[in-house]
Order: sequence, then structure tokens, then C-alpha cells
Amino acid sequence: MSDRFTITLDGRNCPATSGETVLDVAGREGVSIPTLCHDPRLDPAGACRTCLVEVAGERRMQPACAFRVRPGMEVTTGSERIARHRKVLYGLYLADHRLDGSGLPSENGSVNRLREQAARSGALVLPPVNAPRSGRPGDSNPYIRFDPDLCILCARCTRYCDEVEAVSAITLTERGAATTIGTIGDSGLLDTSCELCGGCIDTCPTGAMTEKKSYGIRHEEMEQVRSTCNFCGVGCQVDLKVHNGRVVKVASPPPGETVNDGNLCVKGRFAYDFIHHEERLRYPMIRGRDGELHRASWDEAIRKTTEGLLAVKEKHGADALGFVSSSRCTGEENYLMQKLSRAAFGTNNCHQCAAT
Amino acid sequence: MDKAGARREEILERLEAEGGVTPESVARIALETGVPEADVWGAGRFYSLIREPGRRVRVCTGLSCRLAGATHRIEELERSGEPREEVSCIGQCDRAPAALDPDLELIPGTGTASSVLPDDPALPVNLGGADPAGYEALAKAQAAGPESVLGIIEASGLQGRGGAGFPAHVKWRAVAGQAERSRYVVCNADEGEPGTFKDREIMERRPHLLLEGLAVAAATIAASEIIIYIRGEFRDAKRSLETALKEAAGHLEPFDIRFANGHGAYICGEETALLESLEGKRGMPRLKPPFPTENGFRGKPTLIHNVETAACVPFIIHHGGERFRDLGRTGAGTKLYCVSGHVNRPGVYELPLGVALDELVETAGGYTGSPMAFSPGGASSGFLPMSLRGLPLDFRSLDREGSMLGSAGVVVLNDTVDLVAAADWQTRFFDDESCGQCAPCRIGARFLRNACGRFRTDGDPDALLHVEDVGWEMEEGSICGLGMVAAKPLTSAMKHFPDAFRRQR
Ligand SMILES: Cc1cc2nc3c(=O)[nH]c(=O)nc-3n(C[C@H](O)[C@H](O)[C@H](O)COP(=O)(O)O)c2cc1C
Ligand code: SF4
Ligand code: SF4
Ligand code: SF4
Ligand code: FES
Repeated sequence: MSDRFTITLDGRNCPATSGETVLDVAGREGVSIPTLCHDPRLDPAGACRTCLVEVAGERRMQPACAFRVRPGMEVTTGSERIARHRKVLYGLYLADHRLDGSGLPSENGSVNRLREQAARSGALVLPPVNAPRSGRPGDSNPYIRFDPDLCILCARCTRYCDEVEAVSAITLTERGAATTIGTIGDSGLLDTSCELCGGCIDTCPTGAMTEKKSYGIRHEEMEQVRSTCNFCGVGCQVDLKVHNGRVVKVASPPPGETVNDGNLCVKGRFAYDFIHHEERLRYPMIRGRDGELHRASWDEAIRKTTEGLLAVKEKHGADALGFVSSSRCTGEENYLMQKLSRAAFGTNNCHQCAAT
Repeated sequence: MDKAGARREEILERLEAEGGVTPESVARIALETGVPEADVWGAGRFYSLIREPGRRVRVCTGLSCRLAGATHRIEELERSGEPREEVSCIGQCDRAPAALDPDLELIPGTGTASSVLPDDPALPVNLGGADPAGYEALAKAQAAGPESVLGIIEASGLQGRGGAGFPAHVKWRAVAGQAERSRYVVCNADEGEPGTFKDREIMERRPHLLLEGLAVAAATIAASEIIIYIRGEFRDAKRSLETALKEAAGHLEPFDIRFANGHGAYICGEETALLESLEGKRGMPRLKPPFPTENGFRGKPTLIHNVETAACVPFIIHHGGERFRDLGRTGAGTKLYCVSGHVNRPGVYELPLGVALDELVETAGGYTGSPMAFSPGGASSGFLPMSLRGLPLDFRSLDREGSMLGSAGVVVLNDTVDLVAAADWQTRFFDDESCGQCAPCRIGARFLRNACGRFRTDGDPDALLHVEDVGWEMEEGSICGLGMVAAKPLTSAMKHFPDAFRRQR
């Protein structure tokens, strides 16, 4: 089969490559198709059914996220049939979801993508179905919370945990209307293989999997600041969520944008308490003759350090000194540290604690 | 993610052997097989026989058993205080009201014993005949070679008997034509469609016929492994097959034939859910394409056939494709029709494909009472009024009426039946058995259950608002056939019996 060919998307010729899905081509061509269970890092599940499109020759509508392109394929992304499908589908989702006063999906602080999609579709209003879906209210882990009545069972969290993290701490469990996200014996995440990476939070489209510490703080009231995680030299990009001048949450930039491809580890995502911690060092201090630490200026501190180091070098030689930089330093900082060691003080005794 | 070399295919069997899902059993099995704990847990919790193991009477709540007094039986057990569970159809509709004892052995109803036609060698399956371990058709097929067998199967017009009526030869050719050399034959013996019990009869009465049909298929498509996925509640059928396999030994030498047990999930009758289950996973249907003929068990080309389809094959090899084809009336061959409900002699009757209801019921001893409605093909086919009694019971004619022949589980309802109650039972069945993977079916089935239940209690037709829309979406938007038909019982009843759904009281 030829590798490159064209397909038609809503009557327009579009280049495509074998192996691509309809959604891949649509994304490139700027044709928007709603999705909920799709995450480019995961194998398509085709489970949420929001992305169904019509493909000429196929009796049934097909999921754009999973359906592979074929030469000459004709795809329609908008039709009466698709509109009716969405209207009833979103109606069903809403009947199975916690709603707010406006009748739209609630937000517990995080973005709920179902909300905007359902509003756009003119969702059919149906009575609540009261599915017997349970959560794990006793889970005492400090970071991750699961709200079953915001869960749409897209299985992004479980697939992420399996396919990306290779941890498989959480699973789809039970069956039918009772299907939910569970763990072995409904135990708390701390009693499972969970590494508390929080990737399940980032991939969750509705906020059903969400962060405990910032629970309820509305996403519209958070300012976003792109930064670099300072826990290790990988340099993962983070989006700091700032509320009233305080960092209240750390999220990963979307997959595909940065080196960490949407992922973070437990430190990068959850260990941000130090930022506003009252015991955090905010200025240099010098221990005085009284044995106590006293606030000092940077100039004073640097002068004091230089004097001490030079005194050692004078008395015992440069190799009596050793320079160790923190794993939390960036590459640039590490470079400067070895420069200081070799060029300024003349010793090769320099090391970085993450190098072993 | 599994550890390298993990033995996932074993976990369901082990869970059942360990007495079900507990944190301890799951942790032990995870450790021993290398499958993550959560996955063992989640898989186990999917299957009724593993999720709710335990010694108690399991009372069938299938339509035919309900018609024969299952509700009464449940109330009696309730009063006696005996532990009991209400379960989906157990495939014993001809012995209604049926139940299973705490060892999953059958407790037949007090009514008639199952009935089949007397020995007639002109019938391809011939349930009433002897079941010799001759395996002459297999020898004949091996001598003729694959190309010739494929031609014969094509000429026979054999359509899959599992429900969809897909031409058998197309699947055989699709697997035979794959570049991948390791291939499988899987026999779908998970018979679970309410009203259906024909595969059970074949396995109990003609096990050699089934094994031979599967062996012919395997020889033709060059598969060496045959797996029979058999419904967990079918203890007698499994014993019968096991005995036959021992008797056949020499003849089936070149094939590696094994059994896999169902664990209590109707959806695992759907072929791709069945494959997931074989692989030790939750029985959630896969997206199609790709089809199992290309990407099946362990990702390899796989030919999946219903028990009856395979059992037709030896006759076709013996007598030629045309002879089989010509036995049918509006479609090819004979068909095993399961008849239950309000008829005098419930049972399995092998008649020409395309027979009409009256002739079928006459074979089954006639109607009891005055018939009001019938389901031609299990719960999935919905309810039809007696005005359609003249329709040929074949794949095409019923499809055109918005119904289906499906597994040919024909249930007759006479005018003593409350059709709203009947629609409610069937609707609940689908909600109980939905895998829960896709929203149209998971939420839609629960919506319908609530709507129908509310109408049954309040008699307020407003409860049924939007049933049509939701039914439409389930048919259009669901991943698999379960969701596609789950609204049929209610929507067909509303369409054909509007009076039953007017305001009551
Ligand atoms: C919900 C559902 C349940 C099914 N149950 C069965 C079953 O119990 N037995 C069966 O043979 N086929 C069943 N099927 C059909 C199978 O998916 C498949 O089409 C069949 O096994 C193929 O074999 P055939 O070509 O011989 O019919 C079911 C399909 C669906 C959608
Ligand atoms: S935090 Fe990470 S490891 Fe834990 S359940 Fe979520 S995805 Fe899995
Ligand atoms: S918790 Fe979120 S990601 Fe997981 S299944 Fe539910 S909605 Fe999807
Ligand atoms: S239609 Fe129902 S049974 Fe089939 S995949 Fe969807 S939820 Fe599962
Ligand atoms: S995004 Fe395609 S089915 Fe969910």
C-alpha cells in the first residue's frame, strides 16, 4: 500500500499517511472533532464515542480517534446524524454526571471538558440515571482524589497508569452501570504500587481525578506560569497555577509540547509546599561568634565564603577543597560550579550529587 | 503493565479456583503470574461467578423462566430463607423455571423435559441421532485439501449461527489468506442469549460432530490450536465434550484442543470480548476493524465460530455444499430453533432455515393459550406481534422488520403476559450484562431500565419520554452488538403494542 495518499474530509482533499487516524488528519487540517477519551500518548480506546464521524461505505459511524485512514476515504465530520448522535450522547453523559445549578457538568476546580462540549451540543435533558458508581472515600493518600460522580469512564487514567507509567495501580472495576475506577481491595493509593506521579490527574478530562490540596479552587481564578522543575537535571517543564500570589498546583504542559511530554514525577507535581513554607530560607545568613545565625547581605555572605575557602587553600593547598553541587541545580548552574572549582580555586575535586 | 513473561491467561481460572476475588487471592495470583494486582482485581470483578462466588441457589430470571413462574420461585426461596441469587438466563429455557444448585449443577423446572426431533440422517445436525466417533468427514476434508474444502463451504451458503449470519467461507478465506502462520480456531460455546439453548444440546448430544467440525476448520485454515470457550454454567455440556475428546484421541491427534471456561458474563459471547476473556482480561469488546480473522487471539488470525456453525460442517463435507444449501427454505441449510415460553413441547427443533412461526410451534406441540407476541431470536430481537407470524424466520426477513433471527431463541408469549413486565425483564437483562465500556450502552441501558421500571410502577407514560432517542443513540453509537440491540425489547414493545404503554391508572 502506498504510504502517502489523499482522503477527503468534509469534501476537501487532504494529504494523509497510512497508519494515521482520521483524528490525526483532522487535527492537522484544523478540522475540530470533539474527543474525551483520546490522549495522544495512549492507544486509542474509542470508548467515549464523542468523536464519531461518518465514513463513506461504513454502515456505522466510526471513532475518528481510532479509525485508520485509507486511500480515497471520504469522511464527514458534520451531518444531521452526527448532530443527533452528539445531542443524545451528551444528554446521557449529563444524566450520569454531577451537574451544577445551570444544568451543566460541575467543576470541582479543575477544567471539565464535558461541560463546554455538552453546552455546544445542545444536550438532550434526561432524568439522572443514578448509576451505582462508587469511589474510595477512605483513601488517605495526601495528593489524589477521585470523584466518581464526575467520572465518565474514559479510562484515560488507567490506561495512562499502565501504558505510560507502567505502574498499573488503578483499574477499571465492576461492570455495566457500576463500572468505576478502583484499586486492589479498594485500598488507598499508598497501599498500591502507585508512585503518586499524578499523571492520572493531568490526563483526566473532567476533573474526576484531581488534586486534593487545591480542591475547589476554580481554574479560572488561577494564573498560569510556565517554569522549569527544579528538583532534578531533566528539566521538566511545569505550569505553576497561581492563586492570590501563591502556587496552589503544578500541572504538566500538554503532551507533545515539552521534553517531559505531559508527564511529571511525584516531586515535580506535588512537592511545591516549600515555595511558600515559613521555614524556607529567603536570604543569606552568617553564623556569628554568638553561635546564632544572623541575616546578611549577599555581598557579605559571598565575601565570607571566599575568605574561608581561600584560607583553606592557602594553608592546605587547592586539593583540600571539594565542590559538590545539588541535583536540583540546572545544567547552567552545574557548569558554573565546576568552573568555580577548576578555574577560580584550581582543583578538580568537583562533583554533582546526581552523577553517581 | 505485565512483567515480562507474565501468565495473564491463567488469572481468571485461578481466581475461580481460589474461590473468587479477595485482596488476598488477588495479591497471591498477581505475585505468581506477574500480572499487576490492580489488573487481576479489575478483571476478576468483571465476572459474576468470580465477583460473587459462593454457595447458593442461582435462580434464572430469563424471560422463559419468568413466564414459567421464576418470580414465584424466588419469593418461595426468600421465605424459606435459603441463600439465593437472581441471575441472567442460564440457557435452560426449555426446562423452565430453572435454577442452579450451589455447585452450579442444573435444577430443572417441574415442566416438560427438553424435546428434539427423532433421529433423521437427512438433518445436518440431527440431535436425535447417534454420535459416532468416526471422523470420516475430517479424513475426507484432509484428503481433498483446503482449496476444495473452501469451495464446498462457499457452495453450502453456510452462515454463522451465533447471531450475525455472516457467511462462513468469507471468514475461513480471510484467515487462510493471512501472511501470519500461527492461527487459531476458537469455538464460541458461551451461549447466553436469553431463550437460546441449542449449543448446549449439540454439546451434550453430538460432541463428536462439533469436535469434527472444528477440526475440519482448523485443518483448512492451517491452525493447530483449537480453543473451546464454554459457558461456565454448562457443566453437563463440558463433561460431554471432555469424554468425547478422550474417545476421539487418535483422530484429533494433529490438533491441540483445549477448553476455556466462561466465568459469568453474557458479553463474552461477543467474539472480541470472548478473546479478551481468553487473554485474562475484562470482557470488554474490542473495536472492529481490525477483525479477529486478522487480529484475534494473542493478536493472531483467528477463526471464531458458534457451536452450531461448526456442527454443520461435517454434513457439508460428507454430502456437498449444495445438498446443505438446498435444505433451507429462504436461507441455506437447516437451523436449530430453540422454542420456549407458551408452547406445549419446548425444545430444540432442526427445521429448514426460513420456516414460519406457526409451523415451528406446531412441531413444538402447538401454542398454549392464545399467543400474543413472540421473540424470534432471543432478547436481542425484541418483541413482534402475532400479525408477523407469517414471516420466514431467517436472517434477512427479520432484519427487515427491525428484528433479528440472532441465535434463533424463539420465545412465545400468550395473552396472559404483561408485556410491559416482559419488556422490563429484558431491559434489565441488558443493563445487568452491559460491559460498561461505552457511554451509549452503559448509561443508555440504565436510563431504559429506570424508565421502564418507573412506568411499571407509576403507569405514567412521561417516564418513557426520550426512550426512542436513547434507543436510537444506543444502536448508532455503541461499540458492540449488545448496546446496539439493548433498547429493542422496550422500543419494539412500544411500537407493536402501543396500548400496553398508555397511561395506566
Ligand atoms: C452481545 C453479543 C453476544 C453474543 N453472544 C454469542 C453467543 O453466546 N454465542 C455465539 O456463538 N455468538 C454470540 N455472539 C456472536 C459472536 O460475536 C460472533 O459473531 C459469533 O460467535 C461468530 O460465529 P458464527 O460466525 O459461527 O456465528 C454474540 C454477539 C454479541 C454482540
Ligand atoms: S499517580 Fe501515577 S502511578 Fe499513581 S495511579 Fe495515578 S498515574 Fe498511576
Ligand atoms: S477518573 Fe477521569 S480519566 Fe479516569 S476514567 Fe474517570 S473521567 Fe476518565
Ligand atoms: S455496547 Fe455495551 S457491551 Fe458493547 S462495548 Fe459498549 S458498553 Fe460494552
Ligand atoms: S475520543 Fe474517540 S471515542 Fe473517545
